[in-house]
Amino acid sequence: MSTSIPLVLITGATGFIGSRLCEVMSFLGGFQPRAFIHSTASAARIARLPLEFVTGDLCDRASVEKAIQGCSAVVHLARGDKQVMRNGLENVLRAAAKHHVSRFVHVSSVAVYGNSPPPGSVSESAPAKRTDNAYGNEKLEQELLVLRYSRTCSLPTVILRPPNVYGPYSPFTLGLVGKLRSGKLALVDGGQNPCNLVYVDNLVQALLLSIWKKDAVSEIFFVTDAETITWERSLQDMAHALGLSLPRVERQELAQEPKKHVLRESLRVLPRVLLSGELRSVVRQVPLIHSMENSLYRAFQALSPETQEGIRLRINGPPRLHQKGETPSRFDAADNVIAAQNRRVAHSSAKARRLLGYTAPISYQQGMCLTEAWMRSARIL
Amino acid sequence: MSVQDPASTPKQTNSAATSPALRLGIIGCGAITNGAHLPAALSSPHIQLTALSDTDEARLRSTQLRFGLGSAGCADYRDTFERIDAAILALPNHLHAPIGCDLLSRGIHVLCEKPLAMSTKECEQLCRAAQDGGSILAVGYVTRFFPSTVLTKRLLATGFLGSLKSFDYEFGAAGGWAPLSGYNLARATSGGGVLVVSGSHFIDRMLYLFEDVQLRKFADDSHGGVEANCLAEVSCSLGDMRFPGRITLSKTHPLANRLRVTGEKGVLEIREGESSYVTFLPSLEETRHQITASAESAGPVEEDYFKVQLEDFVRAIFGGGRPKIDGREGSNSVVFMDQCYEIATRLDEPWVFSPLDRLRTAMPSETPASSSSQLTEAEVG
Repeated sequence: MSTSIPLVLITGATGFIGSRLCEVMSFLGGFQPRAFIHSTASAARIARLPLEFVTGDLCDRASVEKAIQGCSAVVHLARGDKQVMRNGLENVLRAAAKHHVSRFVHVSSVAVYGNSPPPGSVSESAPAKRTDNAYGNEKLEQELLVLRYSRTCSLPTVILRPPNVYGPYSPFTLGLVGKLRSGKLALVDGGQNPCNLVYVDNLVQALLLSIWKKDAVSEIFFVTDAETITWERSLQDMAHALGLSLPRVERQELAQEPKKHVLRESLRVLPRVLLSGELRSVVRQVPLIHSMENSLYRAFQALSPETQEGIRLRINGPPRLHQKGETPSRFDAADNVIAAQNRRVAHSSAKARRLLGYTAPISYQQGMCLTEAWMRSARIL
Repeated sequence: MSVQDPASTPKQTNSAATSPALRLGIIGCGAITNGAHLPAALSSPHIQLTALSDTDEARLRSTQLRFGLGSAGCADYRDTFERIDAAILALPNHLHAPIGCDLLSRGIHVLCEKPLAMSTKECEQLCRAAQDGGSILAVGYVTRFFPSTVLTKRLLATGFLGSLKSFDYEFGAAGGWAPLSGYNLARATSGGGVLVVSGSHFIDRMLYLFEDVQLRKFADDSHGGVEANCLAEVSCSLGDMRFPGRITLSKTHPLANRLRVTGEKGVLEIREGESSYVTFLPSLEETRHQITASAESAGPVEEDYFKVQLEDFVRAIFGGGRPKIDGREGSNSVVFMDQCYEIATRLDEPWVFSPLDRLRTAMPSETPASSSSQLTEAEVG
């Protein structure tokens, strides 16, 4: 590999976006990717390419320092637990600032606006704040950290906020397939709200542009497909590809999770847990408990059947019966795809088009054709 | 049994038929050693583990700690020569030939992890070194010791399925085996991708089950690295029957993970990893029949086939016979894999290539002169 090609460190390189970015860089040749990988087990896709691999742990400063040597830019795609999301990111930011990389591209998410994005979040200028979306909150914390390094260390950063990323190997795509096949996904209220999609290669285009475009520095960009696709079209297309019919429901028909009162719920569940076979099989290894359990069992058996039934009822609660003809809804209002159908905002990538020269070159139809070709190859279809 | 102090253990001759235990060294403390070879060696009454070696001292120490092994660990395998009569070689594939030849030519018997080597030429070197050194060379194709493999051979050879029509083998999983050294990420250290890492066990079994196997077609998705997916088509025979076979392997998505042999009387299905039985699906019937290798049903604890393999190696050393899979037989699968790579064509992946032209515009029109150059548009545009 030529040393004249700029070296770009890609964290999260074995993920589906990172793998595709490595592929495109490798085939087009403008950048030389250095793939930072945590486990060799998940690296099969990028191992097809003649890449440079660095195995390490983002939470280990030394391995990050080693990985960044000689790199001109960093694309941070890694995900993981809180440690990786916070400490891992900070290690990469610190190393990037120390080595004066010319660009740090961080991939965030539209989830920073939570489950009910405000109407103003059509554009990136809408302020994001903590919401009830745990993943979004984590991404927001990450953005704040990136912006802090941009401000205090003059690190040239770019933040991209993609929505649902679909395409080959996409967890979003695979999630839809799984939910449609299990019959747990329905179109809610006609599905006329925007789905907010970006095909993985369109996101890759934005990533590549973010690495070198001057006007990208210190900016935050939404990156979406060119067309606004409704949930109806998106789910219908996927259901059609799978040969399934798409159930349709009204929002009021969804199964609502009852409001939880933590203490009351805990007290209700506790006896059931304490008396469960799983717990008893473990604790009865203690001879004293085993002997107590035998005594209690004998005492219980000595009670009248009515008293035994009364105790069982107190522990397990009343059986949940439905009115004649009534069937419980199998569609959960809390499911993330069902809940997302309630979002009315279509995030716009106008700013990315203006400042980055982003064009979203793959249309939705092309993206779906390519996704289906991959799904056939991967025996999903 | 723990690692013995080498000073207290005199070196035996290689034909030490009277010795109750073989002085064994394990070279390479990666995942297969920790997960399979060490437990097998430590539980065998015929083995005296006298050396453990790994160039990665942290990995060596961790293995010693995990198994409660004391002294006799060393970083350089050459320091084991005086303490061992035989060695298990569990190293990255590119080290099998040089280190194996070194051991064999000194009269040290070798049980080499599969595949025997990276090429036909290296296999020949190993077989010659074994011959010159008067030592036993065995190859670790552990699934050959499964009763289900022997049963399949017997059923096919005795005409259980009638005239054979075809076979179809597939094995696939996303992720999976994660060698600690990461040797699987590069052709230079692994010799290949999914064909070598996941497929070589079946290729060995295929060459055992069928005769005159001729490779017709091989396609994979390598782009300068190691393939993650591949497809091989063969023609083979058994007695006077000639029939086609197909092998599909993947490291990116799950497959059915079984061999199916179709004959005029039905289908014989052997699940990958299933050691005790095969399943017969008769033609024109909706039934499935499990056929076990032995009249006795399998016990609750499955046999440790790595131990069975190791004891076969010990028997060959003490008894003067040949191990179940000797160097010559172990070479056959490498010859076949060499042929595959020689005629390899590319699998069709439209989702990889068709969008590339449209992404080209995202690359800087010129690249900076050196990897440490700044990547801003002003300088590259």
